[in-house]
Amino acid sequence: MVGLRIFVYIVVALMLLPVLITFPVALTSIARISFPPIGLSGRWFLAIFSDDVLLASILRSFWLAVAAAIVAVIVALPCAFVIQRGKFRGRAFLETLITGPRMIPQIVFALALLAYFETIGLAETFVGLVIAHLVITIPFAFRTLLVSVATMDKRLESSSDVLGATPVQTFLFVMVPQLKTGLIAAFIFTFILSFNNVTLALFLSGFGQRTLPVEMFQRMNVGGMTPVIPAISFVLALVGVVLFIVLDRTVGVYRFLAGRD
Amino acid sequence: MTDVVGRIEFAIRRRPIFAAALLLLPVLAMLAIFFAAPLAQLFDLSLLSQQPSVANPRPPHSLDNYLKIFSDPFYLQITANSLLIGFSTTIATLAISYPVAYYITKISGWERTLISVACLLPIFVNVIVSILGWYILLLPYGVIQQILYSLGLVTGSLQLLRTMPALVAVLTYEHIPFAVLILVSSLQAIPQDKINAARLLGAGVPRIVFTMILPLTMPGLVASAILVFALSASSYLTPVLIGAQRIKVLPLQIFSYGTELLNWPLAAALAFAMLILVVAITYGFASVMNRVSRRGQWEMV
Repeated sequence: MVGLRIFVYIVVALMLLPVLITFPVALTSIARISFPPIGLSGRWFLAIFSDDVLLASILRSFWLAVAAAIVAVIVALPCAFVIQRGKFRGRAFLETLITGPRMIPQIVFALALLAYFETIGLAETFVGLVIAHLVITIPFAFRTLLVSVATMDKRLESSSDVLGATPVQTFLFVMVPQLKTGLIAAFIFTFILSFNNVTLALFLSGFGQRTLPVEMFQRMNVGGMTPVIPAISFVLALVGVVLFIVLDRTVGVYRFLAGRD
Repeated sequence: MTDVVGRIEFAIRRRPIFAAALLLLPVLAMLAIFFAAPLAQLFDLSLLSQQPSVANPRPPHSLDNYLKIFSDPFYLQITANSLLIGFSTTIATLAISYPVAYYITKISGWERTLISVACLLPIFVNVIVSILGWYILLLPYGVIQQILYSLGLVTGSLQLLRTMPALVAVLTYEHIPFAVLILVSSLQAIPQDKINAARLLGAGVPRIVFTMILPLTMPGLVASAILVFALSASSYLTPVLIGAQRIKVLPLQIFSYGTELLNWPLAAALAFAMLILVVAITYGFASVMNRVSRRGQWEMV
């Protein structure tokens, strides 16, 4: 057990190292990436706020993720109910169908959408990007909500029905409160997936319409990246960790992420 | 108005399938229009002998692209690279994730949160961020080289970026969370009383691990192997940024034909070749393992 513990903590250190290393690198005062940092300043963290292209891409990514997460949760909830509660043949098949987009490599789907959007006139549009993100995030929202619907107490709905509540009242005042944590988890999870997606946006975002990860990718790939990229990376990592801890402490990450396999 | 609602309610109560169809409609329609249709169109594209143009909007269909991919040594080499990367990443990921997942099931409270945060970090933090971190670590005269120098392990210059081991290491890093998630839920499902019974009857730790825990978690291991293989063999970003186009893999060629050289038919054919290959390998692996593990369970009873 001691050996296992040492192994696990080495893995933990290695998992944290690449993310944490962005912090000292961003603290440098010169304009290139170096470790140990040369000089010490917070100028690259402040540079985020004066980099208009970067700020625009942050906003674009934010709204994209919000739109995708809201729609994904709204359309996935009824599906979760039908699959969890329904008693009809072909339920397992429908479940596989809804979670199907997870099985396709994103690069294949991205290429398919690139050609398809060109045909139907959605190429390089924000709407096209939202749709693309919806297709790949709905399976995750669906599975998260499936877990949550499964844990609901059906007797409460019957009681509400018997006591004369309308279906809408039952839904709003009996079912939604029970689903609250699941809905929040599904929203945060789809938001993160959409905000972090690179491959789809790389193919589909138009010229001058880059999302944040694509902007970061381009600056890294083309070269000549300044320490503003490690700075924004560290900020993103912090936000990610905070969201994770909130999610884990409120609803339990394993229960929701692993689904019911 | 209430009459209409009443009628709908009545219809739903009598034929629940009607309600189910209505509730599923948005998602199913969306999947048909924006998932199935694009893939069907892509398949059609993959059969065209050349890129559609204004002068030639409907080039004839043929299997030329596929024949080209499966006969040209250039593409075979790229395919071999992709598969090798997929296999190596899968083995490394499982070897690391299994003990970690086992440890996670044995602890609770803040230690569990800490280890979970670390091991699931790549899901919550943008993949570009972790690739950037590795890039900084692996740079010539970067952190890893400085450590190796100070330990006296290497002398002279050392090429870490753009090598196969570095690529596999970063891909392993990215896919550990997926394996850990599946393995934790699989390990948690092991009935603890059976383990206790085995221990009481005098079974040692190795025996418990190899005859009970491993066979019982085989479905989880197979599921995570399939997921990690499918994801890593088709990964695009890490080969671009860490392999720096030096190690050619299928997704790099797909991107290059799809967006830079604008040869969609060839890009589409490569995409489908990759898809079919990955599906065939994972399906074959799953059915073989299914048979093997069922025999394992038989032995346990």
